Amino acid sequence: MLVRRTLPALIALTVALGGCKKPEVQSYRVAKETPPPAGTPAVNAPAANTPAPAATPMSGTPVPTASGAALAWTAPAHWTAKDPGGMRKGSYTVKGTGGDGDMSIMAFPGDVGGDLANINRWRGQIGLGPIAEAELASTTQHLDRNGLHITLAVVNGAGAQGILGAIVPHGDATWFFKLTGPAALVAQEQAAFTAFLDTVKPGAQ
Amino acid sequence: MNDSLRSVRDFFVSLKLTVVLLALGMVLVFFSTLDQVHLGIWGIQEKWFRSFVVVHDTGGSRVPVFPGGYLIGGLLLVNLISAHLYRLKLVWRKAGIQLIHSGVIVLLVGELITGILQEDFQMTIVEGASRNYSESFRDYEVAIVDVSNPAYDDVVAIPDAVFSHGGEIQHAKIPFRVVPQFYFPNSSARPRAQVPNAPRVGATHGELDARFVVTEQAIDYSQNGRNIPTALVALVATEGTIGKWLLRPEIPVMRPGEGGAPQLDIDRTAPERFTYGGRTFEMSLRLVRAYKPFSIRLLKVTHDNYVGTDLPKNFSSRVELKTPDGRDDREVLIYMNNPLRYGGYTFYQHQMEAARGLTGLQVVRNPGWLLPYIACVMMTLGLVLQFGLSLFAFNAKRRAKAAAQPKAA
Repeated sequence: MLVRRTLPALIALTVALGGCKKPEVQSYRVAKETPPPAGTPAVNAPAANTPAPAATPMSGTPVPTASGAALAWTAPAHWTAKDPGGMRKGSYTVKGTGGDGDMSIMAFPGDVGGDLANINRWRGQIGLGPIAEAELASTTQHLDRNGLHITLAVVNGAGAQGILGAIVPHGDATWFFKLTGPAALVAQEQAAFTAFLDTVKPGAQ
Repeated sequence: MNDSLRSVRDFFVSLKLTVVLLALGMVLVFFSTLDQVHLGIWGIQEKWFRSFVVVHDTGGSRVPVFPGGYLIGGLLLVNLISAHLYRLKLVWRKAGIQLIHSGVIVLLVGELITGILQEDFQMTIVEGASRNYSESFRDYEVAIVDVSNPAYDDVVAIPDAVFSHGGEIQHAKIPFRVVPQFYFPNSSARPRAQVPNAPRVGATHGELDARFVVTEQAIDYSQNGRNIPTALVALVATEGTIGKWLLRPEIPVMRPGEGGAPQLDIDRTAPERFTYGGRTFEMSLRLVRAYKPFSIRLLKVTHDNYVGTDLPKNFSSRVELKTPDGRDDREVLIYMNNPLRYGGYTFYQHQMEAARGLTGLQVVRNPGWLLPYIACVMMTLGLVLQFGLSLFAFNAKRRAKAAAQPKAA
């Protein structure tokens, strides 16, 4: 009897073990990770022949783009610098009531579609419909700072989110300075953001 | 026992089944060896051995062509155990055969446990940084991390095998559904400036779609081949689509190289950050992670050459091993043939880029590592016992025969 009962159990166990490998969605809780130093190379990345440039604080540091032109800036003291990862030139957390804001600084070759396409992309990100070319002038401000022409857009969403964005053509690239966060924080940070734009200047070559 | 049950039992205990399965096993090994021309070793393992059915890609359509290693091995295991229980008698004379059979069973179970539970991951650390997780060599996951709490992160990880099926994914820990739009297991990314007229894939958030044109590539099965996936993910809540993100684990970047000339390099992509329902999330496509109850900080990497030559003499990583409860806090030197063994894991020196202060450790955990050794000992003992018993029996018979014969005068 024992034998007869054992065999089906063993077969079931084998099948069950075989089924264990099925991948499944997992959830777990982990402690906050300390961000790796900037410019961390990818795993298995082909070895560079020369050392990568040393990681330096972003604030006030000229940052080279792919085309060589660079911009420098000084971030407000209450913005906390964070790991910019591979794509950003600078990255900050902006603390505020109702949640934190995310400040990103990026540069892409060319005009990346122009002001209208980019402002409409930002509007889409916070749930707003696109605007027409004719409405562009009334929704943006133009600033001339340190030899740079800056297009500033304040995009307030229908919901709780808002964006403060600045588009800065420089050399062969276009730079984007974007603060995304709760609408209250965006309103509160507007003066600091404009003051920050005053510090943006071509980096020493 | 009724007739149908008896016929099932007879099928599983049959010696014919053993012979057929062993023959199929040999054919499996033969054809999988030939298939190594097309696939690397890990591709062969997944296709031929760690599968129930071998599915062959015949120019677009996938056709099942042969029983896989799990099916043959599983049936062989059941067959052996059944034969053991039904046919073989527990008598001293048969103890050798019983031991040999048990050894084979342990070997098969060991491979099953290894196939299911083995972790063969990597841990890449830069000098000064600390890691408490290892990463798969080739499997990816879409990770959605709730970073709202300043003390901890809540992670929902969707393996690529689940994501690539394309169905909607809902999980209690996230307030929206994840709707895969497409998944390329291997892909290339070219700066959009190089392909100005290429259409976008429709991402509404993030900058990847604006910067790069991604193209699907054939999966690279070679030993050192790397596959870089790309996924387009839509997040959908009750009120509608929150947005679509293009995700990729790494991107090409240009860095000043030798003499200041731009040089192609690869960087990890920062997670895409967004806020929904008052919570802040980060989403990324990354290598599958396995978190550990301890952390390893890289103190120093050393790459020594023999004096006056470029021949490597020694690679070593000095690391600090630390547990959150403070029970362990010590420095360890990991170098070739001197791995760190801790908590069931073995950390081998695997890769090194001393110029960047980067080390790559191979992290291996195999709960079934001892079973093949036990199986070999059992089978050896079984063979010794079986042949020993036969030898003694033969000798005894010969002595008896000699005793029975009349002695020559």
